Amino acid sequence: MGATMVEKILSSHALDRQLRAGDVVVASVDFAMVHDGRAGNALKMIEKMNAKALPFAHRAAFVVDHFSPPPNAEAANTHAAMRSFAAAHGARLYDVGSGICHQVLPEGGHFTCGDIVVGTDTHSTTYGAFNALGTGVEGTDLSAVLATGKAWFRVPETIRVELSGRLAPGVWAKDITLHMLRRLGAEGANYRALEYVGSAVEAMAIDDRMTLANHAAELGAKAAILEADAKTEAWLQAHGAAAPRPVRADADAHYAEVIGIDAGSLAPQVARPHHIDQAVSVAEAGTQRIDLALIGTCTNGRLDDLRQAAAVLRGKRIAPGVRMIVTPASRAIYLQALREGLIETLAQAGASVEPAGCGTCVGITGKLIAGDGEVIVSSANRNFKGRLGNPRAQIWIASSATVAASALTGVLTDPRGVAGGDWRVQ
Amino acid sequence: MSAPSSSDLIRGPAHLLGDDVNTDLHCSTKYLPGKDNAFVAARAFEDLAPGFAQRFEPGGIIVAGANFGINSSREQATHVLKLLGCAALVARSFGRQFFRNCINNGLPVVECTLTGLDEGDAIEIDLARGCVRAGGVEHAVPPLPAEVRAILAAGGLHAFLHAHPDWRL
Repeated sequence: MGATMVEKILSSHALDRQLRAGDVVVASVDFAMVHDGRAGNALKMIEKMNAKALPFAHRAAFVVDHFSPPPNAEAANTHAAMRSFAAAHGARLYDVGSGICHQVLPEGGHFTCGDIVVGTDTHSTTYGAFNALGTGVEGTDLSAVLATGKAWFRVPETIRVELSGRLAPGVWAKDITLHMLRRLGAEGANYRALEYVGSAVEAMAIDDRMTLANHAAELGAKAAILEADAKTEAWLQAHGAAAPRPVRADADAHYAEVIGIDAGSLAPQVARPHHIDQAVSVAEAGTQRIDLALIGTCTNGRLDDLRQAAAVLRGKRIAPGVRMIVTPASRAIYLQALREGLIETLAQAGASVEPAGCGTCVGITGKLIAGDGEVIVSSANRNFKGRLGNPRAQIWIASSATVAASALTGVLTDPRGVAGGDWRVQ
Repeated sequence: MSAPSSSDLIRGPAHLLGDDVNTDLHCSTKYLPGKDNAFVAARAFEDLAPGFAQRFEPGGIIVAGANFGINSSREQATHVLKLLGCAALVARSFGRQFFRNCINNGLPVVECTLTGLDEGDAIEIDLARGCVRAGGVEHAVPPLPAEVRAILAAGGLHAFLHAHPDWRL
């Protein structure tokens, strides 16, 4: 019997045998990430572990993204501790304004195809866009990785998702995930890995592939992994990553489930408040007023997201009364967006632009952006009650194109119905 | 396989919770900045089961439904349960990260659907054999792998690695 991509990657890092789903294994880890939201606990666990040395700390990045810039002394003190630790142990530090961990790790060339990357964040699945095994861990695991270079894993069963056809203009990877959530439910892939394959994935640019892998976290997935192709390898090479060791599943690999989706037939989707799996098409949502439009986060704050928004809003103004906030996922994206005139376009349309980072994704970052009864449409990944700090606000989740089209009209709007809403990567 | 040890056998009274218990909301400080674990432990699950933390005595076993600990990458939720004195958790399913955090912190987690129990009913868990006894019924569950039981028996991943720095059993 053949092996899935995740079985192959874990086997190659455990060295002893061909692993199968259900096995528990100790595997070497190629790179580790800690962000400021969890650095307090991670540093506490490192101290508690009391290891003689941390010889693998140089294979870790400490990323200041959740509280960037810090809204209070507690966060600022955590940042200071991260700086001290990184300097003392040779870890890489990404400071205020560098960007979101899941964006700066690939941009920094810290891993390549076939690697295992762990991070103190559920959206560490993002690294699977580059044919790596990325998964979330917490402080105790992290301390063990820094001391021993290893972690234990249960080899997950895999769901293979075959995306045939090609997404229509105005429809994005976000819409695929919302469709999957509607189909499988919010924890429908709990403990499992997802393999996304097919012509629709091949046609996607890297930014959209990252959305697909990232957003698998909302399905409860342990990992989401895509095949590598010439686009993947060119991207990794351009960002200074090590030579890729691409992994493909065997034709006779065993899957827990195989799901086929005709990507070409999908319409833009939105998730209703307060459940990410209550997804419907924008048309099915009916007429819904919005007060706030947010573009950003590790799910949809990339260059192609800003390009989608700028294509819709070029030379126009957002609807009266609507507030729009745009947060580039990294400084590199911010700079490129400046060069392309995207920031100017969005600012002239009435959007506010924040420094690169997690921005308005979650209500723990010291920003309260919505009042009672206000309606938000966001390109983020989670919409449970109170996510943005006010349980009396409602959060809808959609693609950046849908968010921009809705900001323009003041009601939830299918981007295909507005000029520029059919922009796609050439 | 390592030999069965006394730590593989756990007995205690059931404390019941339902489906989709989100530990981010109900037993961590994610939305309570500036509060500590003791503060959260004293109010753990208060919205779901009033008086839960006051009733809970060390050695108790939490019995829940599907998706216990979802959304929670926060290890702190397990630290709070340890502060409460929780001896083990039995649920139909767990959030992935929460499951992992429990093992790393020496807190046994068992996937098993238990229904028709009353608060305080006696539960017995045999981790090595893979069974849960409750209300006079024995439920077979997939036995935890030896590697995981070794981490639990040591009291968590740190203690395990101090005893086995090379990760070998």
